Amino acid sequence: MIENIYQPTVMRIAASRDETPDVRTLRLEFSQDRTRQEFFAAYRVGQFGLYGVPGAGESVFCVASPPTRQEFIECTFRRVGRVTSALQDREVGQTVTFRGPYGTHFPIDSWRGRNLLFVAGGIALPPLRSVIWNILDRRDEFGRIAIVYGARTVADLVYKHELAEWAARPDVQLVTTVDPGGQTPDWTGKIGFVPTVLKELAPCRDNCVALVCGPPIMIKFSLPVLTELGFTPDNIYTTLENRMKCGVGKCGRCNVGSLYVCKDGPVFTVRQVLAMPQADL
Amino acid sequence: MKVLEARKIGELAAALSGAGWRVLLPIEDGNVVRLAPWSPGAAVRTDVVPVNSLKDALFPPSEAIGRFGLDGNDFTVKEAPVDSARTVALCVRACDTAALGLLDTIFNWDFPDAFYNARRSAVTIVSLVCTSADEQCFCTSVGGRPDATVGADAVLRPAEAGAKLIFEPLTDKGRALVSAATALLADVADATVVADKPAEVPQLFDRPAVTKWLGANFDSPLWQDWSLACLGCGACAFACPTCHCFDIQDETTRSRCVRYRNWDACALSLFTQHAGGHNPRADQAARRRQRLMHKLSYIPERFALVGCVGCGRCERACPAGLGIVEICQAIEEIQKVPAR
Amino acid sequence: MNVTEAIRADAARLLTEGRARMVIGYRLHHGRGVPVFLTAPERVDSLYYGPQCTLNLAAYLSRPEVRRSAPVAIVAAPAALRSLVVLAAESQVPEGSVLALAVGPDEYHGVVDAAAAAELLRTRYACLEADPDLSARAAELAAMSPRERSAFWQEQFARCTRCYACRAACPGCYCQRCVVEKNMPQWVSTAARGHGNYAWHILRAFHQAGRCVLCGACESACPQGIELMLLNISIAQNVQEQFGATPGLDPEAKPVMGTFRPDDKDEFIR
Repeated sequence: MIENIYQPTVMRIAASRDETPDVRTLRLEFSQDRTRQEFFAAYRVGQFGLYGVPGAGESVFCVASPPTRQEFIECTFRRVGRVTSALQDREVGQTVTFRGPYGTHFPIDSWRGRNLLFVAGGIALPPLRSVIWNILDRRDEFGRIAIVYGARTVADLVYKHELAEWAARPDVQLVTTVDPGGQTPDWTGKIGFVPTVLKELAPCRDNCVALVCGPPIMIKFSLPVLTELGFTPDNIYTTLENRMKCGVGKCGRCNVGSLYVCKDGPVFTVRQVLAMPQADL
Repeated sequence: MKVLEARKIGELAAALSGAGWRVLLPIEDGNVVRLAPWSPGAAVRTDVVPVNSLKDALFPPSEAIGRFGLDGNDFTVKEAPVDSARTVALCVRACDTAALGLLDTIFNWDFPDAFYNARRSAVTIVSLVCTSADEQCFCTSVGGRPDATVGADAVLRPAEAGAKLIFEPLTDKGRALVSAATALLADVADATVVADKPAEVPQLFDRPAVTKWLGANFDSPLWQDWSLACLGCGACAFACPTCHCFDIQDETTRSRCVRYRNWDACALSLFTQHAGGHNPRADQAARRRQRLMHKLSYIPERFALVGCVGCGRCERACPAGLGIVEICQAIEEIQKVPAR
Repeated sequence: MNVTEAIRADAARLLTEGRARMVIGYRLHHGRGVPVFLTAPERVDSLYYGPQCTLNLAAYLSRPEVRRSAPVAIVAAPAALRSLVVLAAESQVPEGSVLALAVGPDEYHGVVDAAAAAELLRTRYACLEADPDLSARAAELAAMSPRERSAFWQEQFARCTRCYACRAACPGCYCQRCVVEKNMPQWVSTAARGHGNYAWHILRAFHQAGRCVLCGACESACPQGIELMLLNISIAQNVQEQFGATPGLDPEAKPVMGTFRPDDKDEFIR
């Protein structure tokens, strides 16, 4: 029997949670234990997969849960088109397809003993959330943890109940913010754009690695702040989201410069991102 | 040496077909010459470059890479069969075989593509040395030559002003053809038949210099000028022996779903369109730039190969006559102007 | 002064006088008339006109880069002039944004706008007569039984790779997002296979019904040599019979397929 690299495995939707009116998290379980074990033997945090519904197609999302939790995988995505609509039309108990893990991962083992700063905006928290869980599951190995997360409005914040859990932990510094005008009357977090809040917070300058994920404008204005704080392009990491189809370096769609986001990414240092032709991003 | 009468290529195809091979060769098909399956009566044409290339036989315009059974809201994953029918491609050009290096690399880059590999293993390639070239040919500008045999299992060398073809097997697969064609391949003493001179294909530009310029001039305003004539279709990419980008689309009936991979092109406007609305390559200049950069800058940097074989099919296929050569020559002109 | 010289002179004049910011014409390259885009009067010497110049330059009028350079002048033979008139009738070329350097088979007619182009066509080139070979092929096709005709088209469309060169070269295909590019729902299969190819070509031909000026750009552009003009001429003949309409002669004309007239035939309603 030939091995078909495009053949997906079947996953059952074990749970689903609406994060916002159009963003949903799906918890997926492998239908065969052997496949589950193979997946977790390979999976490292930061990698992505292709999630699909036969008839609609496949869509690329990061794996939003960490390798330290091996009963399931999670993905969080917005309903924007044909495939994401088909995925969100599936109910708990029904099946979807999955292929992965693909791509590069965050080198968290090399960050042992260091402080970590997570900066995320809106729907871009999921890839960092898997790292945050991963780090929290191995808390003793790492130094201080600071998270700055913001969205346009309160309704746009994802993982709301997890944010409350992180805020309650004494070993995590969490700051949440919404854009001016995005607050509700009972909002107790900050009000301001993420880069501004980041600057005020001025978290961990020493021995620190930063992970930044968000809309291009947020990244654009966060980078100078991080540079001021003493970060360099080599210790700021991000993950890119490009239009992908095959996920395995053949269809050409995610080619940017001499890199392929599905093979050389999606995890990149800022140095790598700045070396890419910016107009193609 | 073995020699075939050139006018008997059709009979060679018939003999190989009779022996169980699927035979592809350049034939008249309506108004064009295509590398297509032989059938009795097919008119063989070796005087022009076919509109398509060997790529079609290894990576067809549309093929099924997944199959599912559908049952209401449930589905089952099924096998997608590969095509491993024994095939021989006759009278393939050196530029087509030159593309195999890149295609083999991409389709086996960490994840071996069974669909491509099945066809690749099953095909025996018999190339034909070019003794003439047209204005669009430029293989020698990208490291190729009209008599190159890399990638071929056997080669046919025209001789006696094209009246004869010297058949030279190069691999075991090539040798395996001989037994099916003994009646047509005359044994002659070596050196009694002398091959015709290969075509003269003048070098039209310095490819490494072009690659160097491309690496430093992504943001050049010249891309706007160079892309005005581009109408944004996929004719060039589809005709190209090295272009391999594809789309994946599911098609369903009530009870089954087939997942197809279909040729796609970076020149088409939706290639990089995100579902959320953003398109990184939003104008034709950005898209045309991607074509040139991918072939002559990114692929050399990434794979140490050239993403163009100089066959000229892009220019022949383009409704607006755009190709690779004019831009490369323009780049060379720019480099000659001393920096101020 | 021959046609090429006349075109060069007028192109230079239009650019110098500012009546056009861009001239789109042809230059000769490897024996083909390929498009050239001029913005400077000093460059007009690259312009050429001859029998190798068959591409319908009106296809560029809907490109955003060209629209941004309005006013634009294009070198246009009768078929392209018709295209210009159709585009004007469909509100695709704002008043004063396009001029044509009108050429006939052997003569130059000077600079015209859409209205003057229509006048020229009505007086000199009124008959939208197709090439006699094409008409003969069309008659052959019409004489076939439905089964034979279906087999003919299946064989033709089997060659299609869905490169969309036909769509790209057609001045009438200017939709921002083509019907094949819509995927909610996916109206037409995008795979280069029988059923999708059939749907694509017939759909495109129908979308051109009453608008196609039989310029032949689609068939010339097709890298696989598919005889697309046979589809177009069959439909054009049908439109002529059913509605008496010939596209490209009146910039004020309402679209044939979008207009209802009380005397439209209705015997297909049974």
